Amino acid sequence: MKPNTSAIPTDRAQHPSLLGLLLRVNLLGLQRKLLSVRERSWGLVLSVVGFLGFYLALAYSLFYRGLEFIGRFPGLGGLLVERLLFLLFAFLFALLVLSNVVIGYTNLFRNRETTFLMTLPIPANTIFQWKFMESVLLASWAFLFLIAPLLAAYGITRHVAWHFYPATLLLVALFIALPGIFGAWVALQLARHLDRKLFQIAAFLLLAALIGSLALYFKPTQVTEEFLENRVLTVIDRLLERTRFAQQPFLPSYWLSASVQNWSEGSFSTAGFFVLVLLSHVLFFGFLAFTRLGDRFYDAVSMTQSRGGVLSNWGWFRRYDRARQGKPLPVGWLESLLGWVRSDVRAIVIKDLRVFWRDTTQWGQTAVLFGLLLVYVINLRNFSQQLDSPFWKNAVSFLNLGACSLNLATLTTRFVFPQFSLEGKRVWLVGLAPLGLVQAVRVKFWLATIATLLITLPLILLSCVLLQLGALRTAFFALAIIVMTITLNALAVGLGALYPNFSEMNPSKIVNGFGGTFCLVLSFVYILGCVVLLGLGSPWAWRTGEPEWTRAGIAAGIVGVFSMAAGWLPLFLGLRRVAQTEL
Amino acid sequence: MIELQDLHKHFGDVCAVDGVTLTVPRGEFFAVLGPNAAGKTTTIKMIVGLIKPTRGTVRVAGFDVQESSLEARKRLSYVPDFPFLYDKLTPWEFLRFTGQLFRMDERQIRASTEDLIPRFHLEEWLQKPIESLSHGTRQRIAIASALMHDPEVFVIDEPMVGLDPHHARVVKDTLKERSKRGMTVFLSTHQISVAEEMADRIGIIHRGRFIAVGTPGELRALAGTQGALEGAFLALTEECRREEMSDPSLGNSGNKLPIS
Repeated sequence: MKPNTSAIPTDRAQHPSLLGLLLRVNLLGLQRKLLSVRERSWGLVLSVVGFLGFYLALAYSLFYRGLEFIGRFPGLGGLLVERLLFLLFAFLFALLVLSNVVIGYTNLFRNRETTFLMTLPIPANTIFQWKFMESVLLASWAFLFLIAPLLAAYGITRHVAWHFYPATLLLVALFIALPGIFGAWVALQLARHLDRKLFQIAAFLLLAALIGSLALYFKPTQVTEEFLENRVLTVIDRLLERTRFAQQPFLPSYWLSASVQNWSEGSFSTAGFFVLVLLSHVLFFGFLAFTRLGDRFYDAVSMTQSRGGVLSNWGWFRRYDRARQGKPLPVGWLESLLGWVRSDVRAIVIKDLRVFWRDTTQWGQTAVLFGLLLVYVINLRNFSQQLDSPFWKNAVSFLNLGACSLNLATLTTRFVFPQFSLEGKRVWLVGLAPLGLVQAVRVKFWLATIATLLITLPLILLSCVLLQLGALRTAFFALAIIVMTITLNALAVGLGALYPNFSEMNPSKIVNGFGGTFCLVLSFVYILGCVVLLGLGSPWAWRTGEPEWTRAGIAAGIVGVFSMAAGWLPLFLGLRRVAQTEL
Repeated sequence: MIELQDLHKHFGDVCAVDGVTLTVPRGEFFAVLGPNAAGKTTTIKMIVGLIKPTRGTVRVAGFDVQESSLEARKRLSYVPDFPFLYDKLTPWEFLRFTGQLFRMDERQIRASTEDLIPRFHLEEWLQKPIESLSHGTRQRIAIASALMHDPEVFVIDEPMVGLDPHHARVVKDTLKERSKRGMTVFLSTHQISVAEEMADRIGIIHRGRFIAVGTPGELRALAGTQGALEGAFLALTEECRREEMSDPSLGNSGNKLPIS
């Protein structure tokens, strides 16, 4: 029987290039993934799209107001806006490099498609070229999303001509290639010289050192009220001095910033010069990446698949390993510590904690996110003396609540949401055990909630202490973060059970799906709603600092209902879905 | 044909493949049996060029896999135990994609698919996304795509995983038929009955070394057993274990049973 192939278009080109084939097949996959959104509920799709539109509008509005505000600074407005632009692109460049290294390494060396392609008659260089392009796009799309409202606001405040927008689009496209090339080169070197575990530890230490150095470099200096009123130029001069590094002419971010700035001012020849600088570097290093880096790719892939355990490189560990083989297996301190918990619940708790600890990505990202927040909160002590007005105390304490919750939402979406999908692979074990799947999901919820509370609650308490808030206000914020932590975890667990993806082993890919995006969007909407409601109804009125309990009671009531709707409801529906799951 | 010459592979201080020398001539159906972690998959990964040997060489259809990797891979097909397929493509699109990667022209692709699609009973699934298909159907697609370009050497790891008895028979018959037409098959499996039924020769690998290679009859004779091949396999691997217990210095060098 002949296959029914009439619907399939026949290629005109008999032998398309191999790179073209890989691009085509992956674009087709992407197109179908996007089209599969049609199968989802339109309400949910509209919520996600609406949120993205809201984000863009809000970001644009904030950037616009910020740029206008700074631009009005007498005599120095233009200079401050310029410095802000250079600074922002310098930081984004550093973040892009980091993002490209991590995504490049995973995509080049920990990817099933790469392994599949390596067995086909495709030159390693071609596979590298395809994976390199894919990695750059994966690492940079969020960057484009982030700077689009900024560049729009910058253009509007400067009343630029229409061609500014397509020109900056082209410039940004050129710019993202450079951290991509550098990131791919670093990833290749890491694969050749470092084991995966060592790489993760090294990346984490490097990041910690970077955060430490930044914290030290940008350590706030005491500025008294008198100094601020009478010597404002000295203060600004200090600020400009500290941020001068962003104007190093050898930084690619400098070339981008300078060309954007000059284009907006109509200095096309200067802008053109920087465009050419950017273009020549992209062409030169892009050519090297496309023609030379791939030569080392096969070696690097083989090396990543040929390594033994890191510890087994040391003789002492091999001796220790041999010695312990004959001995009875230890119970483990964690098991002893949780000896009072029911054995099946204990088993799930210990398994989840062990998986978390052994996955460097999980605790690494948690440490980075909350480490940065901790650095910021600790630095609050340098400002607290200046925050004597009730308005600023209130504003900063609510901003801290928002920042802490946003960090938490990132973690719950990234790590808690995919838990049920991942457990689905082992459903035969957990689902058929006397504990049952519903109870197992409940255990996961409480474990995630308690674990995250151990981070968020001390952080908020520390923030309150450093802001010198009274006991009552500290209790208010503590209660708020407890409710929000419980709700965000319930939301992630509930949606994870409602939108499971049992076919995917990689948690980051589970999160990238519709359910994960929806979870992140709902979490952000919830946080925004909570912080605004609690802020507006703050018992301590913004201007006077006098408690207003009636308004506070109403706000707290609304937040309570809102939390029930955002947390309890998805958890309830999720657990009901789990109960109906056919094993 | 496949030629392995003094092949070694070390992962840190662990020796996964320890000096394997083996020739599988053109058209032979060769099966590898061995306990878990014996070195089967590592040997296969070196044959298909996924990892470099620590020492030794691999030649596929006369080409050194490291020196002339593209030439070797043009003549080779590999189906792992859990093959990668593009989930968002349909089987038809995936088959065409594979054919194009092997530089087959439109006419060759049509001819090849017209043979393979009905043979593996894929007509019904041809236009459906791969992500919606069962494990067995995906396995059949992977095997069909690997046979598209009529490879000289076919390497397959656990071919019967997820296949129902009917389709397992189809796969066995197809591979045997292709083997008779000159395709060299290198099959790794834990299913002794599959190896016994299909293979011209069987190699038993243990701790990175072939402890015995021969026809099922020769292996039985070597082990001094009769009946199913399972008895010979257990006897040979057990003998190896006993020797290692009595002389730990043998380590990965394993048994020194004669290789026929």
